[in-house]
Amino acid sequence: MPEEFYREALPNGITLLGQRMEGVASAAMTFVARAGSAYDPAAMAGAATVASEWCLRGAGSRDTRALNDALDALGCQHHEGVQSEHIQFSCVQLGRNLAAVMRLYADILRRPTLADNTFDPCRDLIAQDLVGLEDEPARHCNILLRERFFPWPLGRNPYGQSEALQAMTAGALREHLRGHLSPGGAILAVAGEVDWNAFRDLAGGLLGDWKAPSGAPPKTTPGHTGTTHMTKDSAQTHIGLAHKAVPAGDDRYYAAHMAQMVLSGGMSSRLFSEVREKRGLAYHVSTRYYSLHDHAGFFTYAAAPPARAQETFDVTVGELVRLAEGITAEEMHRAVVQLKSALVMQGESTMARVNAMAADWYHTGRLRSLDEISRRIEQTRVEDVLAYLREFPAGDFTVLTLGPEALRTE
Amino acid sequence: MEFRQTQLDNGLTVVCEINPEAASMAMGFFVRTGSRDETPEVAGVSHFLEHMMFKGTDKRSAAEVNLAFDRLGAQYNASTSEENTIYYGAVLPEFQADLLDVLGDMMRPALRGGDFDMEKNVIIDEIARYEDMPSFKVFEKLMAVHFAGHPLANSVLGTTESITALRREQMQTYFDQQYSPGNVTLVGVGALDFDAFVAQAKRLCGSWRPFDVHRRRPPCRGSGATKVIADPKVVRQHVAMMSAAPPGDDEDRFAAQLAATVFGDVTGSRLYYALVDPALVDEAHCSYEAMDATGAFITTLSCDPERARQVVDVTLAEMAAFVKDGPTPGEMDAARNKLASIITVKGEVPMGRLVSVGLEWVYRRDYIPMGEQIDRLFGATLEQVRDVLARYDLRAVSTTALGPLETL
Repeated sequence: MPEEFYREALPNGITLLGQRMEGVASAAMTFVARAGSAYDPAAMAGAATVASEWCLRGAGSRDTRALNDALDALGCQHHEGVQSEHIQFSCVQLGRNLAAVMRLYADILRRPTLADNTFDPCRDLIAQDLVGLEDEPARHCNILLRERFFPWPLGRNPYGQSEALQAMTAGALREHLRGHLSPGGAILAVAGEVDWNAFRDLAGGLLGDWKAPSGAPPKTTPGHTGTTHMTKDSAQTHIGLAHKAVPAGDDRYYAAHMAQMVLSGGMSSRLFSEVREKRGLAYHVSTRYYSLHDHAGFFTYAAAPPARAQETFDVTVGELVRLAEGITAEEMHRAVVQLKSALVMQGESTMARVNAMAADWYHTGRLRSLDEISRRIEQTRVEDVLAYLREFPAGDFTVLTLGPEALRTE
Repeated sequence: MEFRQTQLDNGLTVVCEINPEAASMAMGFFVRTGSRDETPEVAGVSHFLEHMMFKGTDKRSAAEVNLAFDRLGAQYNASTSEENTIYYGAVLPEFQADLLDVLGDMMRPALRGGDFDMEKNVIIDEIARYEDMPSFKVFEKLMAVHFAGHPLANSVLGTTESITALRREQMQTYFDQQYSPGNVTLVGVGALDFDAFVAQAKRLCGSWRPFDVHRRRPPCRGSGATKVIADPKVVRQHVAMMSAAPPGDDEDRFAAQLAATVFGDVTGSRLYYALVDPALVDEAHCSYEAMDATGAFITTLSCDPERARQVVDVTLAEMAAFVKDGPTPGEMDAARNKLASIITVKGEVPMGRLVSVGLEWVYRRDYIPMGEQIDRLFGATLEQVRDVLARYDLRAVSTTALGPLETL
């Protein structure tokens, strides 16, 4: 049965997206607005993340506890997150509770209390998260890598910066939100056990007359690329490597995706075989693709005991570069089957669907059915992938290492 | 949704929850073995063996095992805990037979010496990886402290020393014993053909030789001890606390789950309001863990070192208040609704359902459809939760702390 998507543009710039899924009882919902950490003013780094926490501390007529209790009573599992370009409010619950949850979210988005007395704890939590990255070197390495790779401030650490957090005030953050948390360009997507007409009418009624100015897109300067080593007395050397890729909205995206699968799609993939299976160098090595609207990269991460870190780095870079020399038909076939299977399995989860829809809309301005994506994957040939790799060769790496000693990275 | 179950002549059990509407299917071999079944000489062997299972059989090399999975577009992995080792995968229904072919073959591994020596490096690196993760390490130390003298104190990973010293023959002996067919359950969920599944399982696993397997299952209420591990390299103070809870085969497990949710869920719980809301900690969470013949309430916290004493005191005071007064009806409703939604969302994908169905069988030889699981949760009363709290004192904690502090 072909998938059926629903779409409705509200006059204030919010796009409503929906998909009804059969055989599920849950409904997932996500709201993304263009107020991510890249929009944080320089002196207020971390603003978006503090705001994502603060918006849940009371909204409409409810204080923190009443709001929490109301969400809990509906079995609403919610998550607030901040990426470079977006602030995101996501939740999943039984479909029969979706309408009641939507009413609460209208308060959270439009009428957050943002009281002075709840600001300090929110800011302190984010400050603690920032410090806590020191105890999670793998994650820290990847955040720092992204920060250097993308044009500044697009890859900025969403937890901000210590002095900026300390100096941030409730008044300044309220002012910032007034100019940024807005319906312009926002997406509200639902998937699962959803009655679309009812949801569209409800969301339209609750959000349609919301007016607020949008923030100007951040001005960018080139990233701090090249090699950075941060000395840390850790048990492993953590290695992050990034190189340029085509953004997700580009037609060459499928070729990029196939290249990533051949590199890192499973235990038979190039990196896993060469680094872990054949040489026993490291437990973890992988390449992920990550895209902003206009910039994207392949992000490779490996961690190895310091004594084997140099060899791990050399073999990993060798494999990234070698990919352009050729891909076998068997590798392509595996990549196709893996991607298609992953698509079908993702199609079973309401949360995965809703995130895929929001991302699709943001990057391509349309919703692609699983059939369409599947067809495009099948149509991609080895020549397309190799042509892509000539255009976006593995090289000019941004490198970030974290560990006892620096590596030779030329 | 249909449940089917059978047993092969050699003792291997097959259980399936069939859902013809699903778009995929998942299967897994659940082996009732883990670090609690190890002697000190082979510490870490269960987990090391889990890696070696991917290293090939008489029929396939290591590379061929990996290729076989990837050709099917399978999502697959394995995991080892104190009590269970699970090998699992999910595929589109058309690949059911191919997935069982590789998983079933894998379950009788070649354990070649060359692969064994190479994989040791990977295991030792994995130990180093967790060394850099204090939130994991504090939990591993807590198991050792709480279950001191009990098999559950054994570390899943072992140590660099125990892995370095381990010989291939020791692993083979452990394998022969623990992977006996009577100790293994083959679980399938989603869009699957049961008759074909069983027929193929017979061909693949029917010749496995049975051994006597015995697990020591002494009761344990926990040591109640405190251990502070000072590590100046760690920036935050990581604190973990454990107390006894109903065992995995006890009907009280639903009440225990509700108690943990009311007390320490990540949102809207007692711990949330006492610690996270005022930003005394950046993380506070309590969960209920059902184990074989025992169980535990586990509370984890992370905070600024200078606040650690205050945070522990607040936590203990919250525990005391909760034990004394129990949950309110409103808290019970919220916990039920939250858990029902978690179970539903997880159960909507075969890979998520696989673990529920598999562990239900391993621990209780039972099958509970998802709807009934939710009904039982809603059936657990406030009085039952109070009763659990009266019999399992949340305050009787063993504690570990890892971070800059020398003392708590």
